[in-house]
Amino acid sequence: MSAESAARVERVDPLEPVPVLAGRPGDRELNDALFEPVWAKTRRGWLALFAVAVPLAGLLFLAIAYTLATGIGVWGNNVPVGWAFDIINFVWWIGIGHAGTLISAILLLFQQRWRTSINRFAEAMTLFAVIQALIFPALHTGRPWFDFWLFPYPSTLGLWPNFKSPLIWDVFAVNTYFLVSLLFWYVGLIPDLAALRDTSRSRAARVAYGIFALGWRGSARHWRHHRIAYLLLAGISTPLVLSVHSVVSFDFAVSVLPGWHTTVFPPYFVAGAIFSGFAMVLTLVIPARKVFGFESVITGKHLDNMAKVMLATGLMVSYGYLVEHFNAWYSGDHLESFLFFTTRQRGPYAPVYWLMIFCNVVVPQVFWFRRARQSTWALWVAALLVNVGMWTERFVIIVTSLHRDFLPSSWAMYYPTWVDWSIYLGTLGFFGTLFLLFLRFVPAVSASEVKELRRELEHEAQAHAAH
Amino acid sequence: MASWVLGEFQDDGALCGAARRLRELGHGRLDAHTPVPVPAVEEALGLGRSPVPLIALCGAILGGAGGYLMQWWMNAVDYSINVGGRPDHAAPAFIPVTFETTVLATAIFIVLGFFALAGFPRTHHPVFEVEAFRTASVDGLWLSAEVEPAAAEGVAEELRRLGARNVSRVEEEA
Repeated sequence: MSAESAARVERVDPLEPVPVLAGRPGDRELNDALFEPVWAKTRRGWLALFAVAVPLAGLLFLAIAYTLATGIGVWGNNVPVGWAFDIINFVWWIGIGHAGTLISAILLLFQQRWRTSINRFAEAMTLFAVIQALIFPALHTGRPWFDFWLFPYPSTLGLWPNFKSPLIWDVFAVNTYFLVSLLFWYVGLIPDLAALRDTSRSRAARVAYGIFALGWRGSARHWRHHRIAYLLLAGISTPLVLSVHSVVSFDFAVSVLPGWHTTVFPPYFVAGAIFSGFAMVLTLVIPARKVFGFESVITGKHLDNMAKVMLATGLMVSYGYLVEHFNAWYSGDHLESFLFFTTRQRGPYAPVYWLMIFCNVVVPQVFWFRRARQSTWALWVAALLVNVGMWTERFVIIVTSLHRDFLPSSWAMYYPTWVDWSIYLGTLGFFGTLFLLFLRFVPAVSASEVKELRRELEHEAQAHAAH
Repeated sequence: MASWVLGEFQDDGALCGAARRLRELGHGRLDAHTPVPVPAVEEALGLGRSPVPLIALCGAILGGAGGYLMQWWMNAVDYSINVGGRPDHAAPAFIPVTFETTVLATAIFIVLGFFALAGFPRTHHPVFEVEAFRTASVDGLWLSAEVEPAAAEGVAEELRRLGARNVSRVEEEA
């Protein structure tokens, strides 16, 4: 295509000054560019990061082994703080996963084109984040080798799970979320796996990708079913993602504890999840697009839009804080008022509370400014702070609500032990390891969907030129 | 035993035109192979609506009804658990799990239905014998016809006349 017609394409939409796809490469060029990280030799930067992630993942498994061998008494949990790092990290990781589903499913239904080049990346993040999340409640049961008791199966005990418990709802919600995300991700991946099979140079790669491609031939009969299957999966993932964090919030909201017993929890948790998830996508995508040279498919437009979503969800989270405090005051309940206006703001964990307010309420306000949204450094630092902020939010919700029990004689402080920290840092390493393997073996940007996007843009440009 | 005749086309228009022409001539079972979905060629090949949504609906009904009945039977019939005097058959409390089983069964039905309809997994297929066919997942637009061996030469000739490049024949080994 000539430079002139390319320029015309870019001018199609005055509301989109930054294109979702820079330049107008052909299918083959796109394919080569997007598969390059898979076929090229291992990069130094990748190796360096891998060398950091793998030992941390090792630390996770050591800490788990130590916990299993000794018992969860090696954690800092106590009475009254029976939920601590395990549940904080569970909620934090699950929340991070939510942006992946939002990008891949909800934005697909809304026909938001800018999702195309980041959806696989975000969806992979979802899967790996949910894996980390699942580790925590599994260990927190105390005897993980009996975790299968959580599932309804005909056992010799003659018992069934108690379906009136939000904790059982959580088991179903999180496992469904993991499986559906995995299926959705895999179905979207099949055409690219076939393209990997067909562009592979070694027999081993051809056989390996060939097995996972299941025999995809790009047949019209395949596409006909694939298109609708993918759309329907997006359709059911959309309410699913909203249900998952709502159910997670029920773990808290259904109890009678001040600080947990609030009706605002489900929407506030979902907004917080998307907020933290977008922060994590930005944290990962900004370095990755630089290292792998994906700037033409993950453009400033994508970063700008993600920043706007963070601003919107950040405001929803702030509103959640406001409502919680308002309800505490309006209820006239002295235990609620004590928790929200004394313990959280002036108690022993007050610095964590104020850090949360800074990271989640103040920091996202920079996204009102275009300059901040366009500066990758500003975005990256803000995204990191939001990750921290959302972690402290879960700390505040869980630990500050628990450590001041109804009876002052039961009050106690919670301090994480080295095992708590090792498991938490270990999940970061395990997540990083999985993510780096994903970047190395699977195209991080969906080539087939970007090719489809390119065609759409071209058709529009032609239609525009005809007028 | 069957033969496959394959040809590569320049653009969607040529591909659809050729598909329509071969279909008029009634040449065997036709298929198009493209790196991105091309709805026009599905129409040209006369492929109807996909039954995947119907399969999904079956999954949703089974998952929803099954999920709810499972909870009712387990908690209200087989082994009642009294929690704070709430009813054994606590419909509102059964909703979240019913929702999750609905979604899970729907997703599994969609994916397995798609696999069954597409004939997956089938890691080898005669068309893969053609080296040039490797472009079908990258940037090539291919048309294939599954025909009787005797008719193969005629179809190949027709494909060439319609402007196909890389026209090739593959015989299925019995």
